[in-house]
Amino acid sequence: MTVPLLSVADLRVGFATQRGLLRAVDGVSFDLAEGQTLGIVGESGSGKSVTAKTLMNLLPSYAQVEGSVTFDARDVMAMAAQGERHFWGVEMTMVFQDPMTSLNPVKKVGEQVAESLRVHLKRSRKEAREESVDLLQQVGIPEPKKRLGQYPHELSGGLRQRVVIAMSLACSPRLLIADEPTTALDVTVQKHILDLLDELREERGMAMILITHDLGVVKGRADQIMVMYAGRTMEQADTATLFSEMRHPYTEALLETIPRIDMASHTRLVPIPGNPPDAVDLGPGCPFAQRCRYCSAACLPDQPDLKQYDHGRVCACHTPVGTEAGVAAHVANRESGVTPAGLDMGTFTPVEEKA
Amino acid sequence: MAGTGKAHLRPGDDVLVTVEDLVVEFPVGRGRTVKAVSGISFDIRSGETLGLVGESGCGKSTSGRAIIQLPRPTSGSVTFRGVDLADLSDEEIRQRRTHIQMIFQDPISSLNPRRTVGDIVAEPLRVWGPSDASEQEAIVDRMLDSVGVDPDTARDKRPHEFSGGQCQRISIARSLVMLTNRGNLHRSRRRSRSSSRSRGRGRGRLLICDEPVSSLDVSVQAQILNLLEDLKAGYGLTMMFIAHDLAVVKNISDRVAVMYLGKLCEVADPDTLYAEAAHPYTDLLLGSVPEPDPTVEIDEGLIEDGELPSPSNPPSGCRFRTRCERVTDLCSSEEPQMRAVGDDHFVACHHPLAAVAG
Repeated sequence: MTVPLLSVADLRVGFATQRGLLRAVDGVSFDLAEGQTLGIVGESGSGKSVTAKTLMNLLPSYAQVEGSVTFDARDVMAMAAQGERHFWGVEMTMVFQDPMTSLNPVKKVGEQVAESLRVHLKRSRKEAREESVDLLQQVGIPEPKKRLGQYPHELSGGLRQRVVIAMSLACSPRLLIADEPTTALDVTVQKHILDLLDELREERGMAMILITHDLGVVKGRADQIMVMYAGRTMEQADTATLFSEMRHPYTEALLETIPRIDMASHTRLVPIPGNPPDAVDLGPGCPFAQRCRYCSAACLPDQPDLKQYDHGRVCACHTPVGTEAGVAAHVANRESGVTPAGLDMGTFTPVEEKA
Repeated sequence: MAGTGKAHLRPGDDVLVTVEDLVVEFPVGRGRTVKAVSGISFDIRSGETLGLVGESGCGKSTSGRAIIQLPRPTSGSVTFRGVDLADLSDEEIRQRRTHIQMIFQDPISSLNPRRTVGDIVAEPLRVWGPSDASEQEAIVDRMLDSVGVDPDTARDKRPHEFSGGQCQRISIARSLVMLTNRGNLHRSRRRSRSSSRSRGRGRGRLLICDEPVSSLDVSVQAQILNLLEDLKAGYGLTMMFIAHDLAVVKNISDRVAVMYLGKLCEVADPDTLYAEAAHPYTDLLLGSVPEPDPTVEIDEGLIEDGELPSPSNPPSGCRFRTRCERVTDLCSSEEPQMRAVGDDHFVACHHPLAAVAG
């Protein structure tokens, strides 16, 4: 691979709370090449949005950020410290989850789309307006001229999200971060928005980070997938590798726990027992150990490091699924009926042994 | 999209709830109204789970709330255990609601933050239950235990100390207190004397779940779905499950009704509906679901690009025609009626997808 467009190394973000330091992101590293899509998947609280906000320099001042972020050989953290504002909004932009709250309700759509053109690219009012019409057309908004004079509340949720996308594209960014761009939308609209993002990415050759809690959303759209849990990377691989075989028990559990449309009705779901861990008090060991059916004695005291596996996959697990260690741990847990973390194996319906 | 058709309604004594021609209107100012639900009919058998799916704004939540008369529907009937709830007085409805309970989407805002979990779950018993405090406490403990919350640690805590998934369990426990303990409940003095109108028919209890898992994390969602299945089997509950997630609805339902803009499109058992969708709208919904199975290719063939029309000014004839690729003149002039296209498979469409004679 050539020099990546974006390179994140050992990113750590903490927030001081009354109970102690909350580690929202705990040592995340990844590279993203020009024109590629990275999917970041995780539950709420896994640190995926905080990662995005760190990249966008949107964290509150009291956040404690460590690690390095390099964009096209430039130090993003240093630019943030210097108050460089023409980087964000021009080269790196973001689309948020809720299009209602990311648009200003008292300004017309036209003003909002034109704003970054006027501010960053110093376009005249007339030029900005013409380009705005063009942008709205590109994101598939019918009657773009009319829409410019409307307020956000006059548009449906899907149209609003298209406006937000148009805004983020205004200055032709090289990286677009989409944080749960379709979670607030209906399924029928969701598909259109995702397809649109993918088309625009391809047309413009921009890179994209697609953040979601739904593995189905990134499948087929992302080149690479990173699975996050408790602020850490659990597993990262290119999409085909990840879906062909999962190494991390959390990735496997995440896929199995979601009811799928091709399952027969009343199929018993495989739950992930318990709840996500408390980010203030993670303790030693693997953060997923308490909920994991592959848990071994080593997982409790000892936090696993990311290790290289097949096809460039990395995975942080002592007992990866499908490896000798993983199979052994699972068999042992099944025989004793309880994992070393004290989890009753009866919670799981029998799963196929993977060897 | 017809709503007026009733071909899918089933006769028989085992039907717990029958909703006919339900219309719910809301005022939108200047004397105008919007029809959130414009004439739908459906029924639920005892022990059955009816799934109701549709996009936001299609009236699915309003339909669920109309069953417990919250608010009372504009017209149409809701027959529960052989009695039309629309004919009952407010007080009689209040009593009837001990057999019909509801759980909501946001588990945290549906629990009072100032009260302890023990109090929250005991509240229905304070109104309807045995006056003996220790008896109440025993029921509360049993219910919390049955939803997988440890009563000893939870009783004196408040909702903010729990995660979303646990709060949803607590709110399920609160509704179960009413639905599962009727046999133990004394007749409270506050209960009026005139409530013996409908003894005979059906002893089922209805749990209406309005998007109960959509605000939960995916890992917790499966726990709650499994719990609901277990409770339904254990206590013989009847459920109405309202959700926008098609895969979730398929998993939990015995029968699924698809709703669009205040009308029903299609009714069938889930396996049939998902395998042989006859209504173009059902097909569109199914085609839009992101598929985490890597072996399934993403369907690129959907041409639909329409927005949901406004329910205050719905299209004439079939309501889906503005987004439908099979639209003809007939669709705008005449509203399709619900008709059978297969065994217990009903669709309201002039041009259903499956090549079955209607």
